[in-house]
Amino acid sequence: MPEGDMSGVAQGAGNNSSDFVSSLVLHPTSAIVLMLEDPAYSEVVRWGDQSDSFVVLENAHDPLQNEKFTKTILPKHFKHSNFASFVRQLNKYDFHKVRHNEENGQSPYGASAWEFKHPEFRADRKDNLDNIRRKAPAPRKAQNAEEQFSVQSQQVVVLSETLAATQQQVQQLQESYYEIMGANKVFVDEILHLQKLVKAQHQVHNELISHLSKLEERRDTRSSNHSTPGYNSNQNLMSDGSESPMELRRARDILNALSVDHVADRDLNRMSVAFHQAGGSPESVGSSSMMGPPGAAGVTPFLHDPLSDMRHLVYPVGQNIGIDPFAPEHMNNIPYNRPGGDSSMPPTSDFNSAPSMAANTPPGLQGSPSPWGSKKPVVLLVEDDRTCARIGSKFLSQHDCGVEVARDGLEAVNKVSSRQQPYDLIFMDIVMPQLDGVSATAMIRDMQPNTPIIAMTSNINQQDLEMYFQWGMRDVLAKPFTKEGMIGKLRRHLAGMLRNPPEGLMDPMYPNGGSTQPPSQGPYSNQGMGMAPLSATSSGPVTKFDTTPIQSPATSSSWHSPSQLPHPSPTIAQEHGGYLAAGSGSQMVLTPGGTQKPQYPGAMMSQMTASQRMPLEGPPEKRQRIYGPSGNYNQ
Amino acid sequence: MASNNQNDDKGIPDLGDAIDYLTFSQILEMDDSEDDREFSKSIVFGFFEQAEETFGKMDEALKKKDLEELYHLGHFLKGSSATVGLTKVKDSCEKIQRYGKKENLDGTPENDDNVCLSRIKTTLSVVKTEYAEAEKTLRDFFK
Repeated sequence: MPEGDMSGVAQGAGNNSSDFVSSLVLHPTSAIVLMLEDPAYSEVVRWGDQSDSFVVLENAHDPLQNEKFTKTILPKHFKHSNFASFVRQLNKYDFHKVRHNEENGQSPYGASAWEFKHPEFRADRKDNLDNIRRKAPAPRKAQNAEEQFSVQSQQVVVLSETLAATQQQVQQLQESYYEIMGANKVFVDEILHLQKLVKAQHQVHNELISHLSKLEERRDTRSSNHSTPGYNSNQNLMSDGSESPMELRRARDILNALSVDHVADRDLNRMSVAFHQAGGSPESVGSSSMMGPPGAAGVTPFLHDPLSDMRHLVYPVGQNIGIDPFAPEHMNNIPYNRPGGDSSMPPTSDFNSAPSMAANTPPGLQGSPSPWGSKKPVVLLVEDDRTCARIGSKFLSQHDCGVEVARDGLEAVNKVSSRQQPYDLIFMDIVMPQLDGVSATAMIRDMQPNTPIIAMTSNINQQDLEMYFQWGMRDVLAKPFTKEGMIGKLRRHLAGMLRNPPEGLMDPMYPNGGSTQPPSQGPYSNQGMGMAPLSATSSGPVTKFDTTPIQSPATSSSWHSPSQLPHPSPTIAQEHGGYLAAGSGSQMVLTPGGTQKPQYPGAMMSQMTASQRMPLEGPPEKRQRIYGPSGNYNQ
Repeated sequence: MASNNQNDDKGIPDLGDAIDYLTFSQILEMDDSEDDREFSKSIVFGFFEQAEETFGKMDEALKKKDLEELYHLGHFLKGSSATVGLTKVKDSCEKIQRYGKKENLDGTPENDDNVCLSRIKTTLSVVKTEYAEAEKTLRDFFK
């Protein structure tokens, strides 16, 4: 073999193995070929019998025995004298030692011989030597890099898939977040709008009531001349809250109770403000950044805003927000709670329970089962006057309530704050030493926002009432309170705790009806039976009771009829009436509700109707005016 | 008059117009037994103490010309007398309350303290008389 060829081959091969070239004159395969074909070495190294391998005959492992190979041949052809290095080099070029142990037991070349093979290394195919290349560092490195790269790129793929998935999720979360936020805003706006409406209507009602009150007072003053002229008019107005403008007052109470500012309002307002702040300048911002998607064009501003607000865009992946909460299909599906369904709005629940209580009257209770359900209410009575406190306690405890008494506002606040279970209801005197009832109410409201607090006061002018309600009182019980008045408030505000709200409790109410009220007995007892589902407009005896108009329109009490106040029981009314308005019996004309009603101005009607559905805490008649000749009742 | 209708099974006599029957009877109804009238009696006698105590405080406040205190005392006794049904006493107490608040009976302001004090003085003596009458009636009733 011409050396020139081989060197050419060697160089060609060497180009692929720069590091090896630097240490070798010739390509190792060429060197091996030279070595094999050098007859001087035939004792040491030669082609294998099949000409497809070469054999190092001496035991290369033993430096003493392979002196010739390592000391002579290796230094000459491979520039070193290390057999192990030679083997390593061979390995690098993909030569493999041929093992005979397993099959033949012995190498044909002797126990100490090393036979090396390479698929391309054959004595008769020297042209294949070019194909013997080092698995070499360079190509090998490249391959590693490729492997690494592919591993890395696989990881990258996995990561980016994960990332994409995460982004997708975040995106979806964002979308639903904004969607919910949007819907929320709709709710808030709607609620605020409704509140405005309610306020406006409230205002209107108040105006009407004020107007009616004035009319009423005038009438009252005119008609009150018949008894104790000295201070009678004053007495009518002040001494007995139930007397003249009772219905009006009731209506006002209801209105005021409705307007009670409850906790949610503040949150609502806060949310509303927040929405508007987040809103910024919707359209301009919306179109600027990545969001300006065709589909979103119709989306409402508040949807644009949060998305175009970069602070919120964790992953600005999404193109669009999938859902337009304002789309009609959504709007139609919004499950609005009709105002009134909310249990946190006491007035509403009052209304709901009203029909049931229409038939109820303050039970006399002795001997009758507890009016309450599984749990008896515990009432806090805040009253500095021990006489009032004792009587009030007695009224309540006879109605099967737990009663605690606080002597002033401070004690009340302490009692409330130290009590684990909130009181079910609080009756609160207004004028008290140490801490007045309004302040105490405000403080208690902070602790117990939902406990109904009912003012007990003789100060019932409009301003006072407004202040009471403004500070969180829910109702007013006029002083001096009556049992019916007090129990009526109790039952109305704790209607949910009643054992059997819809059941008529007429019997206990008029325990003495038979003996003391012969005239009215018939109709009353009938009503007692039939009244539960009472509707204000029904006719017949029931209506008679419900709207008992009491008097001919000509008398001062014509305003009194429908919404009956928690006052006198008929029994008493009769007697009381006799004493109070002795001469007025002839005024009594029992007009059926139907004929009476039209006298009410239309605007009042709705309110009055509501009142009518309120519990009837007392007989419809005003005590001082009701005792007409008995015949009238039967008409 | 009320007595016309007193022929019921309660046998409650006419207490006159010093006492609001409606209010008072509600207290009576609270009695477990009409024989001893334990509850109503204790209420009424408790009220007597309270009223006399309050009248004493009113006298003192009047001496000190303390309209504010008179206003509060008037309000206080107004409440309890109304609750028991002493209508006249209640009305007079309400007047004292108004005068103490430096108002005329119609609610208009009265800036002259001396006018207010003098009106209170008059009213206080009236109310004591009214109270005495009612007290006698009630004590008789509970005998």
